[in-house]
Amino acid sequence: MDKNHLQRQLEMKRSLLDQGYLDEQFIQLEELEDGDNPNFVEETVTTFYANSARLLQNIEQALGSRPIDFTALDNCMHQFKSSSTSIGATRVKKECTLFMEYCEAANAEGCIRTFRQVKQEHASLKTKLENYFKLARQGGTSAGGHAGRS
Amino acid sequence: MASDTDYDSDGMRGNGDGGLSEGNGRRRKHPFMTWRNNLRALVVDNARTCRIMESGLLDAYGVEVEAVGTGEAAVELIASGETFDLIVLEMFLPFMSGPETARTIREMGISCKILGIAPMYCEKDAQEFLAAGIDEFLEKPFTPELFIPFLMEIDNQK
Repeated sequence: MDKNHLQRQLEMKRSLLDQGYLDEQFIQLEELEDGDNPNFVEETVTTFYANSARLLQNIEQALGSRPIDFTALDNCMHQFKSSSTSIGATRVKKECTLFMEYCEAANAEGCIRTFRQVKQEHASLKTKLENYFKLARQGGTSAGGHAGRS
Repeated sequence: MASDTDYDSDGMRGNGDGGLSEGNGRRRKHPFMTWRNNLRALVVDNARTCRIMESGLLDAYGVEVEAVGTGEAAVELIASGETFDLIVLEMFLPFMSGPETARTIREMGISCKILGIAPMYCEKDAQEFLAAGIDEFLEKPFTPELFIPFLMEIDNQK
């Protein structure tokens, strides 16, 4: 295991935490990695992005329909927020909360505006995590620091 | 607008994909905690990522976990004779909601601890869920700090 690589990995993670992209829940995720599941973190995040992409598509479609079904939108966003929370995606979670407030107020414009932010944060985090996992793989470790696939 | 993104709407118990397990029989070799008794938990959450985390955490803390994606699947599992010491139940389930699921489970005579979970705390939701029969309402994320006290209580009472 390259010490420099590990250091860079740790610094990248610290940066993501300090900038508020991720919170302690991501650390919990990493602690669940073990020898039997050395790539648990990356696999869980991959699952999150695969599933959330479809959810976002559904929300997008719902926002485009008239009249807007705010109850259905809220239900969808509940699920999306739950998933985001479970991987520690703090900024995404915050935008979800704001969206849900607009939903409750049946504020279409607010929902549309906030949804743009949700998508932006979602995409931004995806890029950062892809870089993080790439670095982990290059160093011969998993995200949680286990010797995994390179 | 029904979203079937990561619902297990047909009630299938996922085995995870890419090697990810949502519980369902998997046991960690070296859990973070051990208990005097064998503890079994049922996770009921329609969001796959959440199921993975919730199952993973409980497994890491020495609990045998089953995970399903719908209230209907949970009821079916319990009706088939499976017993659990703890049920972790999401409020906003599709079709049969969390409160409806809790009510049905209690009507079946099941008295185990049920922890209701939701992505955000709302007094109205909490009251509704508690009235339906859960023991505690928790805001996600589902963390060891939240569930370990309940596991200790359950283990001491068995």
